[in-house]
Formats: sequence, C-alpha cells, structure tokens
Amino acid sequence: MSRFLGVDLGSTTAKAVVVDETGAIAGTSTVQMGAVSRTGMTRAVTEALAAAGLEEADLAGTVSTGYGRKLVPGADRTFTEITCHARGTAAMCPGVRLVIDIGGQDSKAIAVDAEGLVEDFAMNDRCAGGTGRFYDVLARALEVDLGELGELALRGGQDLEVSTMCATFAETEVVSLLAQGLPTADIAASVHRAVAGRTLALVAQVGRRAPVVMTGGVARNPAAVRFLADALRCEVTVPEQPQITGAYGAALLAMEAAGRGPRVPAEPADAPLRPVPHGDAGHSCADCDGTVVRLGAAIPVRGRLSRR
Amino acid sequence: MPTTVEDKSNRLDMTRQGGRMIASYWDDLFTAREQGKQIVWYNGGALNPIFQAAGLAWCHGEAFAARLAAQRMEGPAQLAGAEYGYNAELCSYSRTHLGCAVLTVQGSQSGVVGMNDQAELAAKLPAPDFFVNNYAGCSTGQQWDGISYRVFGKELPLFNVSHPFLWGNQPDAGYLRGEEWESASRYVRDQLRDLITWLEERTGRPFDWDLLSESMTYIKRAAELRREGLELCKQKPAPATFWDWIACVAPINFLPGDQALVDYFQGVRDEIKGRIDAGVSGVRNERYRLYFDGIMNWNKLGFLSRKFAEYDAAVLCGRYIHNAFWQEPQLIDPDDPLMGMAQHYLLCPTNHGSKTLDYLTLRDCAEYDVDGIVFHSTRTCRAFTGPQRLLARSAQQTLGIPSAFFEGDVADASFYKDEILESRIVTMLEAIDVRRERAAI
Repeated sequence: MSRFLGVDLGSTTAKAVVVDETGAIAGTSTVQMGAVSRTGMTRAVTEALAAAGLEEADLAGTVSTGYGRKLVPGADRTFTEITCHARGTAAMCPGVRLVIDIGGQDSKAIAVDAEGLVEDFAMNDRCAGGTGRFYDVLARALEVDLGELGELALRGGQDLEVSTMCATFAETEVVSLLAQGLPTADIAASVHRAVAGRTLALVAQVGRRAPVVMTGGVARNPAAVRFLADALRCEVTVPEQPQITGAYGAALLAMEAAGRGPRVPAEPADAPLRPVPHGDAGHSCADCDGTVVRLGAAIPVRGRLSRR
Repeated sequence: MPTTVEDKSNRLDMTRQGGRMIASYWDDLFTAREQGKQIVWYNGGALNPIFQAAGLAWCHGEAFAARLAAQRMEGPAQLAGAEYGYNAELCSYSRTHLGCAVLTVQGSQSGVVGMNDQAELAAKLPAPDFFVNNYAGCSTGQQWDGISYRVFGKELPLFNVSHPFLWGNQPDAGYLRGEEWESASRYVRDQLRDLITWLEERTGRPFDWDLLSESMTYIKRAAELRREGLELCKQKPAPATFWDWIACVAPINFLPGDQALVDYFQGVRDEIKGRIDAGVSGVRNERYRLYFDGIMNWNKLGFLSRKFAEYDAAVLCGRYIHNAFWQEPQLIDPDDPLMGMAQHYLLCPTNHGSKTLDYLTLRDCAEYDVDGIVFHSTRTCRAFTGPQRLLARSAQQTLGIPSAFFEGDVADASFYKDEILESRIVTMLEAIDVRRERAAI
C-alpha cells in the first residue's frame, strides 16, 4: 500500500503526517522549534515516519505547506496553508463550513464549501494580536505556564476593559491591570474575550457560517475556544490534534495527486458533525464512543472529534 | 527583503517612451520659475487642460508622490512630512507631497545621511503661486491643500472645487444617468467657470478658450485610443496587462493635451493590435485572468508585474484603470468642454456609491472573463478600500469569482510585505485550480 507525507513547516512548530492510500492517518509528529527550523522539520518527518513504521523511500508522494513550505526537501509540490488547513479539517470534520486556524503568528478564517474546498479566506496582516505569540506574552506577564493560561481564564468573571491587542504592548497592558490590583483570572478572561472579538472581525470578512472548527495550536487553549464560541454564538469544535490539520491536508493532497483516495464527501450545510471511523494508528478518545458513521459511501477517513 | 522572481512578464515597449515623456515633463516643471511661468499645485481630477489654457505650469501632487515612490525616492519627503507632524496613518500621497512642500520651503537641506540626492529631487518642485483642489470622494484630498496652504505661510490663494458624492440611491440613478448625475454635473461645471474667472484674476490675462478646446480635442482622441487599447486586452491571451496601463496613467492624467499625447496612445494601441496579430501575449503562458482593485502600490509596480506573471496570472483590468482618467471620452464635447470635464471629475473611482461600484466591477469582471479579483487593501486610502469587502462578496455571489486581499499602500512600502501577497495570491490560484478540476470532471 502506498504512503504519502504531508509537512507543515510553520512559524513555531513543524508538523508531519503520513497517510495511507485511503487517507487514513498512519503516523504524526508535532515538533516545537525555532522560527521555520529545518532541524525541527527533519525531526518531525523522522518521527512521523517512525510512527508509521516507514522509511523515506517508502513514500509515494510528499506535499509541503506553511511558511517554510519551500524549504522542505523532497516535496513534489507545495500548497499554501489555507488550502491545506481547509482540506485537512474537512477530512477530519466532515461538514465543516468555517475553519478558524490560529497558529504561532497568524490567524485565519477559512470558509469552505460542501466539498471542503476554500471558498473565501481572511488572514491577519502585519499584526500578531490574538495569535499564539500573543498568548505567550500574556502568560509570561501573568506568570503562569502557557498550558495553564486557559484554565486560569475560565475562572475569571469580571469583564475588564482591554484596549490593545498588540502583542508588543500586551505586556504593558497586563502590567497596568495588575498594578490596579485586579485578579489575574479576570485579566486573563478579559484578554481572551477581547481576542475572541478580534477573531470575530476576521470571521466577518468571510461571512459567519457553521459548523465551525477551530484548529492550530491556540485551539488547545480551552478558554480561547470557549470565548470564541461565545462570540460566534455557536458551538466550536476542535479536532483531537488541532495542530496537524495543515500537514494532514498536505498529505491528502499528495495522495490525491497520485490519483488515490476518496474525495471529501459533500455534506449539507446543516449536517451535524459526527465521529468518523478510527484508524489503525489509534487515538485516545476520551469523549468519543468510537461509533462508526458511514457518510454516504463508506468513507475511510479516520480521526475523531472532541466537542468542548 | 524583496523576493527575486523569474520575469515572465512582457511589458509594452511604448511604456518606455511614456517614461521619457514624463521625465521631460517634470524636468520642464522644475525650471518653470526660471521660464517665467506662474505655477499651480493641484490635487484630484485632471484640471491640467484648464491650467494649460491659462498659461500656467502645473504640478499634480499625487503624481509627484507616486513618481517618487516608483523611483523609491519617497523617503526624505516622508521623513520631512513626519518631522513636520504628519504621521504614518495619513494618506501617503499627501504625506509625501506635504513633505515635498516642507523641503521646498527649506531648500534641499536634509539631515538624513545618504539621502541628499533624493531629498534634492523631492525639493525640486518650484514653490506654487496658488493652489487648486479638485478632489472627489476623498476628504483628505481637500484637507491636503489646506495644509499645504499653511506650509507656505497662509499667503497663497487657494480655490476648492467641491464635488457631490454620487450615492446612486434614487430610483432613476445609475451610471451616467439620473437627476443626481445631471445636477451634480451642472454644479461642478459652474464651479469650473468660477475657477476660470479666478485664474484670470490671478494671472491678469484672459483665459484662452480656444486653447482649451484644442487641448480637449487631443485629450478626447487620446482617451478614445486608450479605450480601444483596453478593449483589445479582452483577447485571450491578453496582449497587454493592467501593469502596462498603470505605466500609461501619468500621460493621460497630467501631460499637456497635444499631438504628442495622441501619438503616444496611438502607439500604445497599435503595439497592442500588433501583438494580437502576431500572437504575442502580455504574460507568458497565461493561465489565469485577474481583476485588480485598488490604487497602485507605486513602490512595487515592476515587482508586482513580475510576481503575477510568475504564476501565469495576467492582471487585466481594475477600478483604477478602467474607471478613471478620461474613461468616458464620449462625454467630452471639445467645442464646449466644461461639462464633460466636470463629469469626469465626478467619475473619480472613490466618488461612487456601492451600487454603481458593484455594477462597474462586475461588468468589467464579466467582460474580461476574469477568474479572480485581487484587492489591494491600501492602508492609507480608506476611500478606496471602504467598499472592497462588499465588492468581493458581490463578485463571489454573482459571478462565483474568488478574491484575495493584500495590504499595502500607494507610496509607503512599509505597509507591504511580499510573503503576505504571495500566500494570498497562491491560495486564490489554488482555489481556482480546484474549481477548474472539479468542473472538468
């Protein structure tokens, strides 16, 4: 059976996904690194291949994406992260119509059609406000680990005025609020709420629609997801591995370029998101009963959804 | 750092001739004082035929700012403007030109090491004898000359032509029709008469109406040839691109109405026709046809032409070219030119309500059979960018055409980033590819 590799060389992480010729995930890896790091990329690819029990020579095709997509050796083709996130997310979450991807230094709102193709998109331009970098600065200012920031924000109640979304000035803003003796949980919650409002403006550029899936590293922050759902006034779904959707989409595009695999099934706009069959590589599904749902014909797309 | 790209563009040879004509024009203007001419600084619509007939030398503020930016010499002027108090959020055309005014008043002195030559160029503009403002659809445009007036000590006369915004909301309103259009045309025409009287008072000599008719005869013919050339670019593959027409903006916008102007556009039109006959295209391997909405990013003209061509994308038409610069020559009556001139000033692409903009954009997208729209979200020109989201949505819903936005500016390169443009273009082209593949199945 042929295997295909997708590599997403982003601003702060390298992600690699190996799929088989049915599109099922055979191995993944996410590596934190410096900016557009070749070392990180090599490690991610090596780890993903190892997880799939493969060597590089076993690959039938490779597609790269992300800021460093042109730096990936051996890539047969490159695609932008917009196209890959849309493709990967639509495969993981059939029926999705709006993808909100917030990565290390950019945020995107991607409207996808019923077949998972990009219909419209909007990105932040020259500002890191509301991106992963912004949350790094916020966590440092509040003296909490990044992994604890979301839980802290969920405990906050008071809605404080936050006047800047600039990553550079966020620290000053937070210091100012701390100097007023305000609770750190309220500060964290207020900043998250303000970021959600900013993301809403991005979404407005492509038009609000549902179902909504959030991807990217920031999707692992439960408060970012919660406040975004509040702002959108709808449920926001997060895939189990929200960081790999771009690499997964790239792998699927490599597979399709070889004339293999199924297309993304067309779903009606109001179709609910459903769990889909799990792959041989396995996943830990805390809130999923593993029910196999057939989407039209038997679509062997693997992965799962966790609803927050 | 700019990205190096393979050059698959094929620019018109005639644009080089246009470049020489423009350089000659500015060199002549720089010595206008020595030639004993009175000098007018103006902004907005092309009043140059009136100035020509009044025997004046004229300096179009946006044009000089754009020229400095295209030559990457805008820095000293913008620094001088910033030092004077105009921050980076102000229209970069006005900021650059106001900086020129500051440098002109100061002489060519500049405290910026290594920029003396550029500062000298920026300071070369001869000081004005008076200002005329003719801006439609842009409040900054009117304030701009008001500020220039202050830079020169509030001592120089200033005339402002006021333009009603064409909302287009009345039941009978539409492009070039309806009572709103007719009454606005009369209103501006009457002000042009007042302007001519005002110029006669400033110059102390009678206005040469015959020369105005003659000038407008040439401009009308040049505009007709320009329209013919634009029409020819509907061919597949297109023989010339939007970028070629951008290079033709300066001649049609402010060069004197004379035989040389007609000859230039005859040459452009003939070269395009010759390319069609010879099967030569403006972009090697044209695979995508695009519309460009936004004022030009003058710092990046050559780069953008190569960048889009690199992806086999022929940018063919856009609001800044097709809906500006004597674009409706049938309105011009050389024997009684003021009405047609007034109407063209009203037709500034920032002076329409969304209904008309929507009509014009969709019309051109359909006629040129474009695959997508690129919106230049011009950071300091909100008058142009305001309706862009509406236009993008309308094109998607009505014609099924996708869009991409990138941020930049007319004359300030700091608002632009190659990577942002690249990711936006490529994503849109990928979406077009997928749609084509799907349609082929």
